Amino acid sequence: MFDAFIDGLFLVLQWKAFSLMLVGMSLGFCVGLLPGIGGAATLALMLPFVFKMSPAEAFAFLLGMHSVAATTGDITSVLFGVPGEAISAATVVDGYPMAKRGEAGRALGAALMSSLMGALIGAVALALAIPIVRPLVLTFGSPELFMLSLIGISCITSLSGSSTRAQIKGFAMGLLGLLVSTVGQDRQSGSLRFDMGLMYLWDGLDFVPVLVGIFAIPEIIDLAVRGTSIAGDRPPENLSRGVLEGVKDTFRHFWLVFRCSVIGVFVGILPGAGGGVAQWMAYAHAVQSAKNSKEREGFGKGDVRGVLGPGAANNSKEGGELIPTVAFGVPGSGAMAILLSGFLIMGIMPGPDMLTKHLTITFSMVWTLAIANVITVLLCLLVLDQLAKLTYVRGSLIIPFILLLVFVGSYTANGQIADLMVTLIFGLLSYVMVLFGWPRPPFVLGFVLGKVIETYLFISMNRYGFAWLAHPIVMLLTAVLVAVIAYPYVQQRRQRLARGASA
Amino acid sequence: MRKGSLLFCVFLIAVALCSIILARGWAFKAALFPLSVSVPLLVLATIQLLVVIFGKPETSGSAEMDVDFSTDVAPDVVRRRVLGIFAWIVAFIALVYLLGFPSTVPLFIFLYLKFQSAVSWLSSVIAAAITWACFHMLFQSLVHIQFEAGAIQTWLGM
Repeated sequence: MFDAFIDGLFLVLQWKAFSLMLVGMSLGFCVGLLPGIGGAATLALMLPFVFKMSPAEAFAFLLGMHSVAATTGDITSVLFGVPGEAISAATVVDGYPMAKRGEAGRALGAALMSSLMGALIGAVALALAIPIVRPLVLTFGSPELFMLSLIGISCITSLSGSSTRAQIKGFAMGLLGLLVSTVGQDRQSGSLRFDMGLMYLWDGLDFVPVLVGIFAIPEIIDLAVRGTSIAGDRPPENLSRGVLEGVKDTFRHFWLVFRCSVIGVFVGILPGAGGGVAQWMAYAHAVQSAKNSKEREGFGKGDVRGVLGPGAANNSKEGGELIPTVAFGVPGSGAMAILLSGFLIMGIMPGPDMLTKHLTITFSMVWTLAIANVITVLLCLLVLDQLAKLTYVRGSLIIPFILLLVFVGSYTANGQIADLMVTLIFGLLSYVMVLFGWPRPPFVLGFVLGKVIETYLFISMNRYGFAWLAHPIVMLLTAVLVAVIAYPYVQQRRQRLARGASA
Repeated sequence: MRKGSLLFCVFLIAVALCSIILARGWAFKAALFPLSVSVPLLVLATIQLLVVIFGKPETSGSAEMDVDFSTDVAPDVVRRRVLGIFAWIVAFIALVYLLGFPSTVPLFIFLYLKFQSAVSWLSSVIAAAITWACFHMLFQSLVHIQFEAGAIQTWLGM
């Protein structure tokens, strides 16, 4: 096995495979920066180019591109408040306020270094998990995945403020997100729901126009209102020092980064959950790690831990998603389904062969994930100073370019003008939400998880009736669910008691 | 702020009520999930409405976990600037509808920089040209995204 591990490294380091990985990384870098064009879409576009490549070259090219897109997606999230990828939305919540506070360098340093740590942990998980993951994936059927989605949605308690009123608002927003996710044709009965007679809505609302509208439009409006640069009138930060500080933050909160990476790997392993869920679960976990309510209130206002958690989970989930794809041919996400086509083009059948006959290729994927991210992060760290200077450019000069990014990004989702309208409508809704103090993260979590929850619930009911409620793992996950919901309240109660004791 | 919160609660109640009414006409399987979401949404929005009407103003300790807008700009300036940027966004979408993306990109960049940002004619034209070149190379030549023709081009049969 060790020989295969080393041979995998040499496969990636062959000049042709390495050059192709660099080409893939350059593409992934651009794709990550541009909102809307997801890593999955680019994988699909690049698939025809792999026909004449060897398996190691093809995977170096495709995986190099895909893994880097998740890393650089955080850059636009931090600098402009526009998620570079749908899976980078959670980074906006604290990353952009840091940029507004004149700490863009620190936020970018933290986002990139945590992404690197996450990618490395994901790669290690992939290397270690392949021989032992089979029982885990096979024990997770639709009831268990439904419960896991419920645990995801229960993170609303952590994504809302600490008071009862804030919790009511948070849950109301989560429910609104769930309701919006039901727009379109129902997968079970085929009925059309909330389609307003528009064929555009039959397929439901796409993530990209909604998420870009929710996060980007209010920030653009605020930037126009302030009439200053993104960082305001503050004196420019010492960018090199800021970036270094962000890198140090990653190691200061190493265990948080590690835990969030593990969350990313776990969510990635389970088919259907996806990066949209991983980032918000990691963000919620980062919030839960706050020691007291004062610390907790800093989230959403520019707490570096809110950047570290999602940054790490985004990248570690790549390794996690590869595990079921490689080991069983069960893709963990849309992008992995496209990668699976790459396997078939290469004449490789995912499954036990990947652990025996093609073990070297499997390990070459592990090395690609690690090497591509190390190179990207090192290169990014060299140019971050220049990127962070964008936050000191007069707002009125960069607004038209941000608007362009936002709307071209949303258009690429379906290639229809209606995508732009969806972005505008959700942008205005989001503006009103921020204006009147209704939190956006629970809405996004509800929207992302809605379809998954409904689908798994119906499969579970059709397959098992109510008997699935008695499955041992479902009961275990129910206990976890109760713990996740109760934790913030228990934490508050403990703090109140501690304050009472000290007074 | 209080008036706005009230209106937002009313909006949520209206959304929940509409979805409950609409869901009654669907098959049971299709209606179950929207109904099980709308009913608690209706309840929570109503509770929040009552809290806004009869409760005490919110304290700083109950801050939401989300960004805050800047508060150091005069309200009438805020209103004017919000309407201004909103008009630009609507104009952008209208231009895309009428002319299509490839023509709108340089035109919008030029118009915004010249008339909103007060940039010189030459700089605005250069910025618009560079943006168009980048847009064309990246989205049309490299990624091959098909952009719909604008309504005017379609009408002219171009």
